[in-house]
Amino acid sequence: MDFDWDPEHLSFRDELSDFVARWRTPELLAEFAATYGAGGPELSKFRSALEEKGYARMCWPEEHGGQGKDLLYQFIFVEEMEYWGMPYGNLTYTSIGPSIRQFGSEAQKAKYLPGIWSGDYCFAIGYSEPNAGTDLAALRTRAVRVGDEWVINGQKIWTSLADVATHIWLAVRTNPDAPKHQGISVLVVPTDAPGLTVRPLHAMYGGHTCETFYDDVRVPVENLVGGEGQGWGIVMHALNHERVGLAATGGLARLFDQLVAHLAEERPERLADPLVRQRLAELVLDLSEHRALALRNAWVISKGGMPIAEASMAKVSASELRTRIANVAMDLLGRYGALSKESGALAPAEGRMEWSFRISPIFRFGGGTNEVMRDIIAGAGLGLPR
Amino acid sequence: MNLDLSETQELLRDTARDYLAREVPLDRIRQLEREHGWDETLWKALRDQGWLGLPFAEASGGGGGSLLDAGVLIEEFARRAAVVPGVEAFACGVALERCAPGAAAEALVAGLLDGSVLPVPALLEADDRFGSVALALAGGRIDGEKRFVDYGQFASHHLVLARDSGDLALCRVDARADGVSCEPLHTIGRTPTARVRYANAPAERVGGPEAARALLLVGRALAAVQCVGSAAQALEQTVEYAKLREAFGRPIGSFQAVKHHAAGMASKVASSRHLAFEALAALERGADASQRVALAKASASRAVPEVTMLAHQIHGGNGIIEENDLYFFTLRGKERSLAWGTADECLAEVAAGVNEPIDWLTL
Repeated sequence: MDFDWDPEHLSFRDELSDFVARWRTPELLAEFAATYGAGGPELSKFRSALEEKGYARMCWPEEHGGQGKDLLYQFIFVEEMEYWGMPYGNLTYTSIGPSIRQFGSEAQKAKYLPGIWSGDYCFAIGYSEPNAGTDLAALRTRAVRVGDEWVINGQKIWTSLADVATHIWLAVRTNPDAPKHQGISVLVVPTDAPGLTVRPLHAMYGGHTCETFYDDVRVPVENLVGGEGQGWGIVMHALNHERVGLAATGGLARLFDQLVAHLAEERPERLADPLVRQRLAELVLDLSEHRALALRNAWVISKGGMPIAEASMAKVSASELRTRIANVAMDLLGRYGALSKESGALAPAEGRMEWSFRISPIFRFGGGTNEVMRDIIAGAGLGLPR
Repeated sequence: MNLDLSETQELLRDTARDYLAREVPLDRIRQLEREHGWDETLWKALRDQGWLGLPFAEASGGGGGSLLDAGVLIEEFARRAAVVPGVEAFACGVALERCAPGAAAEALVAGLLDGSVLPVPALLEADDRFGSVALALAGGRIDGEKRFVDYGQFASHHLVLARDSGDLALCRVDARADGVSCEPLHTIGRTPTARVRYANAPAERVGGPEAARALLLVGRALAAVQCVGSAAQALEQTVEYAKLREAFGRPIGSFQAVKHHAAGMASKVASSRHLAFEALAALERGADASQRVALAKASASRAVPEVTMLAHQIHGGNGIIEENDLYFFTLRGKERSLAWGTADECLAEVAAGVNEPIDWLTL
């Protein structure tokens, strides 16, 4: 056992710190916040810089445009970006791109990947339906092949970014007679396709997600990703990519550091209170335990393994800790803890704590509910029976 | 970075586990508990196997291993509920060998390895916190009382933590000398511990503040491993039970409520084990490891009662009777969670430095 980072890992981290210092501009952060991650010109500039460095795909094999680095580099990259809240990649970049690389045809790779890596393409993800959430294989949105086209009818929900996206990565039922996991396929749907209606749903964290309605939406047959009926495997693969960033420690650590920094600067008498310090120490303990699980997950991946139980442990731990940090932070800040950023200078850490509290439920049910994650730990990890 | 056990460590773990399963029947441990004894037979056998020398330098006859290797062994002792003073002897020997090298350290390690010496630390007093040591070394003698001296009644020597001109020092006291009297205390863990009175007992300073600090940190990190071992064994036993035990025509392990308990237990074991071994690695490297050790002990101390109590919930009545092995891990685990610093005591150390910046990558 050796718990020390290799010198190359540490120098990569230093390199990233310089990169962040160069690119973490108020303009980029303001644009990111205003567009809820959809981006604009500042994001494009930042993405180009990321592309130039090749950070996001540095662990891919060289023949696929990567640098063949071990996956601990990916862990360090995600941690550093999450810590500083950098828009290093939305799900288009971290989930859809890798899935197209794995399952797409050569024509699809040529058509979509450059735009995905440059940030010109933004994919909304259409999995959930009003009656298919955790039980995703119950999805009913139907696609029927008519000549050279797929004709889509149905409804999706939580199709975040559909109002600004260029495409929707859509899971549809192409064979209603097959067993439910086998009748699903994935289609790429341009958002300007006739028959597609997008309705925003405003959420309590200040942003919005979308409902999408498909009324005889037509896409050419070449928009089918993978084979017909192969959708379930593709969606599960994409979801695994989605969970990688969800387990990071960085954003949580940053929240804690911002809380302590605020107390030190604005409320030193409160930071000197032994009860306050004790509660902060509890959070350091929680963060250390979570970091251990996140690191073990990364370690298994870097060995070439499939960290099924480890990934689930880290996802559960990160999401529950996010709620806890926000909740404790607000308690320690008292009435100030409730002030949102619109309150100006009086709002602690620009209202980050109350905002984190509002957004935190998403992480517990999103990307696979924590209940399903626990089933996976018990089943795949401990061997308990179904 | 490599978060797996090395091949040698895996071999050590498997060999120790097989050996203990074969040579230490759990009914012998039940017997030792009734007699308030310790497993002298096992201790001798461990010495014959060379395991007691593991963390000591080869030059002094040891195995030249690391504190991580010692941790692997200590976890196996805990998983078999062995009644041996491994943590106590390792902490004494490592602290002296590494922080107060010299004739006294050499004699202690050599005596441990040839069986002529069994040293244990005598740290705590009436106020059971490490910061409250009042006993003083004066004119080569110690006069006063120590409490919670683990295995003190069976040891040949006590390394007594005392003030020497104000500084903390480790003082070697012959446990059989005139003026030393041990009164056994009975704890929830059913392992030996004693209240020891030193009536002007002869004492020799063998280590200073640095060795005293090292003794505390090594003992605390290894005690965290003991907690992890108890929790891990309770988890493993519970998973096996949940696969076999049926209710309503199904194995209870197929019920989601049981699965979710087990998933939480497994996460606690994974994170607390990582922190404990990471702390041992930091100590081995000679870094300032006090925060890591405090976090590791706090984590393990919190984890073990939580995990073992869920183990009981899943075992039901079967887990309560002493014919079942579960109680070893519940009771030992709780006792160890208090030894070498409770979770609260450790967290207070973390709290003291909580406004210092933390590097979350390297921690």
